[in-house]
Amino acid sequence: MWSQLFDTIFKAEFLFSVIRITAPILFAALGALIAEKAGVINIGLEGIMMISALFGVLFSYWTQSWLVGVIGALVVGILLGLMMGFFSLKLKTDIILAGIAVNMMGSGGTIFLLYMFTGMRGNTGALVSPNILIPTVNIPLIKDIPVVGEILSGHSVLTYVAFIAVYLIWLLLYRTPVGLNIRAVGENPNAASSVGVSVLKMKYIAISISGALAGLGGAFMSMYYSQGWNSGMVAGRGFIALAAEAMGRCEPVGTMLSSLLFGLAQALRTKVSGLQGVSSYLVSLIPYVVTILGLVVYAASTLKKVKKIKVQKAQSEVQK
Amino acid sequence: MKNKRMFGFELVRGAAAILVALAVGTVFIFLSSDEPMTALRYLLIGPIVSLKNGVASFNTQGFYTILAAMIPTIFTGLAVCVMFSSNQFNLAGEGIVMVGGFVAALCGIYIHMNTSWHAVVCIAAAAVIGGIIMLVPALLKVKLGASEMVTSLMLNYICMYLVLHFLNYNFADRSKGSTQTYAFADTAKIGSMVPGGSKLSWGFVVALVFVVIVALFMYRTRWGYAIRMIGINQAFSKYSGMKVGGTIVLAQVIGGVLSGMGGGIEVLGRYSTFLWKELPGYGWTGITIAILAKNNPWLVPLAAFFIAYLNKGCTLMATYSDVPSEMIDIIQAAIFLFFAAEQFLSGYRQKIVVRAARADLAKEAAEAKGGAE
Repeated sequence: MWSQLFDTIFKAEFLFSVIRITAPILFAALGALIAEKAGVINIGLEGIMMISALFGVLFSYWTQSWLVGVIGALVVGILLGLMMGFFSLKLKTDIILAGIAVNMMGSGGTIFLLYMFTGMRGNTGALVSPNILIPTVNIPLIKDIPVVGEILSGHSVLTYVAFIAVYLIWLLLYRTPVGLNIRAVGENPNAASSVGVSVLKMKYIAISISGALAGLGGAFMSMYYSQGWNSGMVAGRGFIALAAEAMGRCEPVGTMLSSLLFGLAQALRTKVSGLQGVSSYLVSLIPYVVTILGLVVYAASTLKKVKKIKVQKAQSEVQK
Repeated sequence: MKNKRMFGFELVRGAAAILVALAVGTVFIFLSSDEPMTALRYLLIGPIVSLKNGVASFNTQGFYTILAAMIPTIFTGLAVCVMFSSNQFNLAGEGIVMVGGFVAALCGIYIHMNTSWHAVVCIAAAAVIGGIIMLVPALLKVKLGASEMVTSLMLNYICMYLVLHFLNYNFADRSKGSTQTYAFADTAKIGSMVPGGSKLSWGFVVALVFVVIVALFMYRTRWGYAIRMIGINQAFSKYSGMKVGGTIVLAQVIGGVLSGMGGGIEVLGRYSTFLWKELPGYGWTGITIAILAKNNPWLVPLAAFFIAYLNKGCTLMATYSDVPSEMIDIIQAAIFLFFAAEQFLSGYRQKIVVRAARADLAKEAAEAKGGAE
């Protein structure tokens, strides 16, 4: 069994699938990141992904264009983000409860919406045709390099967008005035507002970007990954993204690395479940267990660091 | 006087939130249905009124079914009340209900006892396991500072897949067409309170007893006080000498015990074998109920009744008209958003406060005048 497993893992094809599986988690994790930077905990990512995944398929079906579908999913994501913002910032609903409400809409409400728009129940099997799926791209030079080309080339457009988004989010947060304001609002809202930054505006901007990213993640899921929408499709990826963001220390690159780790765990799950004599249920546990372990390791290391700093401070004071 | 006014305001606001949610639901019904009036009728009055030949009569069995549906959600609602009171957003109740049901079922099958204590033992086992599982997010939070929300969400999936694994590979009754365990012993079953197929078991009484116990615990013991105080202001509680870590763990373990118990009682009272193949959803409903009850255990049965009624209405609506039952999720989400919105109708509240202050001032002025004379 183990040799079988190693055979499948050490192949370019496996690494290719890791990147493919990472993309939606990365989108959502970046969404969690930018909200967190503004001091907003967005646990509605899961629901936003479900809803925009559905609308991605619907829009692309109605217009027979994948691009419109993706943009539609993006817009729906932004609207949901704004809705969460409205309830939490304007009406002062606890942001976590607002998130849970969005998740509720995502799990059951989508089934209802699908029925309302198309009369179908549970999945969109009949709506999807190849021309409305997100196309894949071969990168000109890289695709000719052996191994590397197999891993990096031939992904969907959105997969590349996910990784480019890491850079864009970093750019936004650390190289633009808006990013600076967002970070200031998350760090200390009172200080930020005392120098004239609109706290509400920054939070609205952050949560709508967060919704947009989750929306793209949703579009990726329904219009490329599982080629159609079905009710159990996102399967906790929005929640895993929260863990990835926490583990990535709320930094774009760190978040990308931890998303890749969870992508690896998911990919491993698909590979192992293909082997004989393995309980598919236990294999399904892998990503979730890895998430908890990751959080534990991250939390423990942070705690150690804090302690170390405290000890150093105490020592330096003693020496004085 | 002022409190009474504020209480009145809270009632009005709660009612308004529910009305808004129902209005949202109605809009969706009109958008999606060809026969909206039929759908609405089943949703709103279907659960307890049965129409036969144009004569409306009270549907007793329907009423019992609603009460029966409250049993697990009262438990999860109480569990969430306790955990949210301490400001711990632990969402693992969902998974623990499933584990609790599974453990209770296994005890009912593989432990042999000849007394009616058998059911009690089964439920106790479910409760203990529930509490132990909750230790994971609680201790990780207290010892390492890991977000209990994320760990508990992950825990739901872990609970589900573990139960499915053991169900499929170790305890399945292979003679049956679908995946289920063997039937549990008669001594483990929780008897029905009323005749008929409503599945209203004595578990309902147990649930109500636990409402009283949890309410007394939260409002009449120092642990309950500590839990609520930590929820209001953790730093202050720590400063005043409360054991914050221990109390946070306690609150979540109690949540686990209640959720596990709810799962156990539901399975032993409703079924004769364990046959859940996915998360039953009672944990999420429990959160809605706790929000509706404003984390007050006394109000949990009321909130549970409302949700059970709505749920039944949605099921009937899906059966007798063309609106899918998942509609409930949209109504629930709307209730959720408006009910938890502190600033919803805040203008109206402002008016009440101003009016109250004016009345008080006028009264004082009158008294001062009276005193001077």
